[in-house]
Amino acid sequence: MRRFTIIAALLLMGCGEDPVPTIAGGDAAEGRRIVAAQGCTACHVVPGSGAPQGHAGPSLQGFARRGYVAGVLPNTPDNLIRFLRDPAAIAPRTAMPAPALDDAQLRHVAAFLVTLR
Amino acid sequence: MNSQNVFDTAGPDGDRLATLAWLLFGGGLILFVAVLGFLLVALYGAARVRRTLGNPRFIVAGGIVMPVVVLTALLLHTLGLARALGLPMPGGEPPLRIEVIGHQFWWEVRYPGTLPGGGIVTANEIRIPTGRDVVLEVTASDVIHSLWIPALHGKIDMIPGLVNRRTIRADRPGAMRGQCTEFCGTQHALMAFMVVAETPPAYEAWLDRQRLPAATPPQHEMGRAVFAAAGCGGCHAVRGTEWDARIGPDLTALGGRLTIGAGTLPMNEGTIAGWIAGAQDLKPGNRMPSFANALDGPELRAVSAWLESLK
Amino acid sequence: MTPTQALPNPLPRPEGELEALEEVWKRPRGWRFVTVVNNNWIGVLYLGTAGLFCVFAVILSLLMRAQLTVGGNDILEAGTYNQVFTVHGTAMMFLFAVPAVEALGVYLLPAMLAARDLPFPRLSAYAFWAYAIGGFFFFLSLFWGVAPDGGWFMYPPLTGKEYSPGINADFWLLGIGFIEISAIAGAIEIIVGVLRNRPPGMTLGRMPIFAWAMLVFAVMIVFAFPAVILATILLELERAFDWPFFLSARGGDPLLWQHLFWFFGHPEVYIIFLPAAGAVSMIVPAMAGTRLVGYGLVATALVATGFLSFGLWVHHMYATGIPSLSLAFFSAASFAVAVPTGVQVFAWIATLASGRPRMEVPMLFVIGFLFIFVLGGLTGVMVAVVPFDWQAHDTYFIVAHLHYVLIGGMVFPLLAGLYYWAPLASGGGLRYGRWVFWLLFGGVNLTFFPMHVAGLMGMPRRVWTYPEGMGLELWNILSTIGAGVSALGIVLLIADLAKNFRMSSGGTDSNPHKAGSLEWLPQGNYNTRSIPLITSRDPLWDQPGLAAQVEAGQHFLPGTVSGRRETLVTSAVDAAPQYIAIVPGPGWAHVIAAVGTAGFFLALTVQWVMISAAFGAVALAAVLYWLWTGTDLGPVRGPADIGGGYTLPLYVTGRDNLGWWAVVVLMLVDGTVFGCVAFTHIFLWLSNGPESWPPSGTTLPGLMAPAISAALVAASAAVVMLSDAVLKRGGRWAVAALLLVALALLGAGMGLDLQALWEAGVRPTAHAFGASLYANQFWQLLHLGIIAVMAMYVVARIAAGLVGAVRRVSFDVVRLFWFYVVGQALAGLALTHLFPRGAGVA
Repeated sequence: MRRFTIIAALLLMGCGEDPVPTIAGGDAAEGRRIVAAQGCTACHVVPGSGAPQGHAGPSLQGFARRGYVAGVLPNTPDNLIRFLRDPAAIAPRTAMPAPALDDAQLRHVAAFLVTLR
Repeated sequence: MNSQNVFDTAGPDGDRLATLAWLLFGGGLILFVAVLGFLLVALYGAARVRRTLGNPRFIVAGGIVMPVVVLTALLLHTLGLARALGLPMPGGEPPLRIEVIGHQFWWEVRYPGTLPGGGIVTANEIRIPTGRDVVLEVTASDVIHSLWIPALHGKIDMIPGLVNRRTIRADRPGAMRGQCTEFCGTQHALMAFMVVAETPPAYEAWLDRQRLPAATPPQHEMGRAVFAAAGCGGCHAVRGTEWDARIGPDLTALGGRLTIGAGTLPMNEGTIAGWIAGAQDLKPGNRMPSFANALDGPELRAVSAWLESLK
Repeated sequence: MTPTQALPNPLPRPEGELEALEEVWKRPRGWRFVTVVNNNWIGVLYLGTAGLFCVFAVILSLLMRAQLTVGGNDILEAGTYNQVFTVHGTAMMFLFAVPAVEALGVYLLPAMLAARDLPFPRLSAYAFWAYAIGGFFFFLSLFWGVAPDGGWFMYPPLTGKEYSPGINADFWLLGIGFIEISAIAGAIEIIVGVLRNRPPGMTLGRMPIFAWAMLVFAVMIVFAFPAVILATILLELERAFDWPFFLSARGGDPLLWQHLFWFFGHPEVYIIFLPAAGAVSMIVPAMAGTRLVGYGLVATALVATGFLSFGLWVHHMYATGIPSLSLAFFSAASFAVAVPTGVQVFAWIATLASGRPRMEVPMLFVIGFLFIFVLGGLTGVMVAVVPFDWQAHDTYFIVAHLHYVLIGGMVFPLLAGLYYWAPLASGGGLRYGRWVFWLLFGGVNLTFFPMHVAGLMGMPRRVWTYPEGMGLELWNILSTIGAGVSALGIVLLIADLAKNFRMSSGGTDSNPHKAGSLEWLPQGNYNTRSIPLITSRDPLWDQPGLAAQVEAGQHFLPGTVSGRRETLVTSAVDAAPQYIAIVPGPGWAHVIAAVGTAGFFLALTVQWVMISAAFGAVALAAVLYWLWTGTDLGPVRGPADIGGGYTLPLYVTGRDNLGWWAVVVLMLVDGTVFGCVAFTHIFLWLSNGPESWPPSGTTLPGLMAPAISAALVAASAAVVMLSDAVLKRGGRWAVAALLLVALALLGAGMGLDLQALWEAGVRPTAHAFGASLYANQFWQLLHLGIIAVMAMYVVARIAAGLVGAVRRVSFDVVRLFWFYVVGQALAGLALTHLFPRGAGVA
């Protein structure tokens, strides 16, 4: 059910005025695949994912509209990638471990996250 | 890696069962078409043909003679096949013995004789060498479970108080998925495991790594301390430490496994953290509590990092 | 045209004969309708209730399909999903399938056999009310989240107290109790009815195939249900009192449950299928306008299926590690059962080929049935192949298979029957049949065919979700769409019934399908005006003018000879008239008894012990009142002329009496339960090995005590025999005194054995050995209690002057059951004290 809503929302979004945001060098589809393969749902609700979803971290639904990354950095693509590379460096008390991903992969993930409106 | 397809085989018995399935489907299709054909002729055929079908001898031929012939042939074929299944490999090594114990809702995997006076214990993952017979000795600690690795062989039930055996052999290296197939309670759906078949040298190397006790380099001292303070050792064993409880999975080489939560999520530092923080969110009804209220952010990261480092 | 003078009764009929008949068989009006007992009315209520429960269970299946549309869905959480699939399966099997076919039999058999009614109409009505009340509460348990969640197969140890501490499992175990009782009550009614209430001349060889099917169905219930009755008793004893039948740590064995459950559960499939097949064997000839080709083959096939189906239970247990030799045997037996089914399929095809089939709605459903059922049968052969089953077992392949078999084999024939027989019960005809058919046929195939694929791709059964990456998405979406289409078909069917079905008191005068069987004779509440003399298998085709003769009252028993409801009793094989049985009319006793029975089990489930006991007492009192006022009326008048030169008595005793037959059937049920008790004992002995049976530290009492017990028990039978002789000589108080002495002897014998066992230190909770022995004790003491009630009842009737040298059916029935209880007690003593010692392991 959840996924149907999401697909419908994505379709509707395609009709809206805002173009889908992109990040240079990032492929949102590839990012979605990495998010699934990494198991980010262990802590985050990831729209459109069929895996079990935890609530240890914030939901990623509407992430693109969020003002700050981790409540600390303005939500820009660069800041997002910086945070993902080493969360504790930005927010020292965070519970989020650093994902074992290289920069290209992080860029794909960021590209996916900015599509979540 | 997530394939659990009966036709996606990795060993001789899996191949045999897949061939049998195709044989049955082919035969079944022919019979189905034949019966429907007779029905159509009976309804719409020419008068002469219909008269033939209306004879009681047609019932004897179609309802008795045909099934007896087909089913006898099938029975003989099946008996022959059943004998071939699980036959020891000619000239092969003696089979490797692995014990698998079903728990609500995870798998304990024991390799007897791999350590002096015992063996290594792992969970939710069965590593086997290719080209060698492996006898899985299965039982259960609580309720009935059933072990199924479709790529290699059919199901075998895990019944408390009873040890069942199933011999498997993988021809080709690779990871394949298996799952519990006997309804075992709330999270029956999330009780999966991986089978990893490796070449014999790779398998031996893996075994050697497993034999080592858990190490705690200085950067992980905090993680170990958190583990101690949170009482994780009340349920879990980590060989090389003081913790030796057998209620939950052995964590001696947790980071080296492919999945966490019995196939629920991929294994990495992040999913370990997520599992510890919200096991009841991810797999409601499993025996592990959520620790989100007991650990702060740095503590969670530390213990996850230590556990991930154990490989 | 048969000459008029050859008919049993002459014309014109006396004035007022028909009016008197109508008056006694009048249906109660208004709110008193709940007291109705005529099988044709109860049959319709029964079918309607079963249909309603089916709709509830379908709604649950739609919830499951919605949940499984995509992986990781969250419409139902895991715990709720498990309750939903358990209730769906349990309700479909116990609350829909068995009651629906039983109801079809209860509705159709009196008409098809041209009987005024089946022998025990109040028993049928009691079975219906207990089932209806209990069934509603079973569904309601879902709303409190206390519905059973261990699967309809309820495997321990998952369903034991440790892993299912809530009352959910008790809801299943006790909630199924009244279904078991009502199924057996129905089976007694059907067996005795089919064997003893046929019209004169309808020999076994002229019996409609549907009656054959119902007979086999009822006999199968008698032998299959006891296994599940005992299994539920054992599991409830384990849960409530910690008797470890299934706990391996204390010598129990989880596989014991599986053997008992599937010894019931596999025949269950054929119990559901055979009546449906019987219905098809009635519809096909009528639609083709010709006789059934291969009548003898089909009747033999029904009986053969009944036998073979008891040899297949292990094919649900191929993966439990059973030795391969037994697997080969059960595989062969599973193949064998395909043969009688094949015979029936080809007989229907042959019948269609030899007639001129009309493509009416019932025929469409028959063709849909053949398509779906043959496919399900073929996958059935596949899963009978042990190595293939190891892959397919407990995956969605099996979900697909069983729905093909059950929907194909039962629902489609039932719908064919609904559209075929609706004109019997309804003033108006049904109209939307073709649409219903195509929606259901398309929907069912679209729902279940993709499940074969999903199963082989690795989707296990009973999962509330599945992961991404296994390729299961497409197949699950297709199944969900198919479920939606099927649901539309069901909605349309309900609309058709709501709009066009008008219950009329007796059906119509016409024979719209031009069929050959007796249910198409003109009907009233009394069924046929007179009971026809039958000379052929298809009387309406071969005996021209029959309908008019029957309606005019020219055949047997055209009125009522006693001013009460009567039914003609004939001999079992050749249907020669024997006597006129008086059958009870409407009443409250059986309704109150049903409320009491359902209340007893439901209150016990929620552990209101006192309330439960009160309900039980009400039920017992109501049953006794019903027996006291409604049975053993004695010779209300002398023998009466029914026409055709027959002058029949209205009261017989001994082996010809219907009550005697009912008790014999009941004894078969009890004997089978006791057989399962013995199986339990022997199975656990094998499972533990002789060296730990009895377990070390446990010893049985010496043989002295059981020998005295056996002597006392046997003496009680001798005293009953003596009382019989005294009764023949007209004794009255002496009979009562002797019965009380016999009861005391029986009680002393059983009590002594219980005491000896307890004093020897054997305890039911210590080990499965003790549990098994005390299960035997439980069963014996239950019978002591029943005999005590029976004895007091007869003594009371003696005191009231209702038992004597002539009027003695009550006494005869109790005497017969008494001998059974004594025999069972002696066998029980042997099982307890001789079995392990006899095997050389004292």
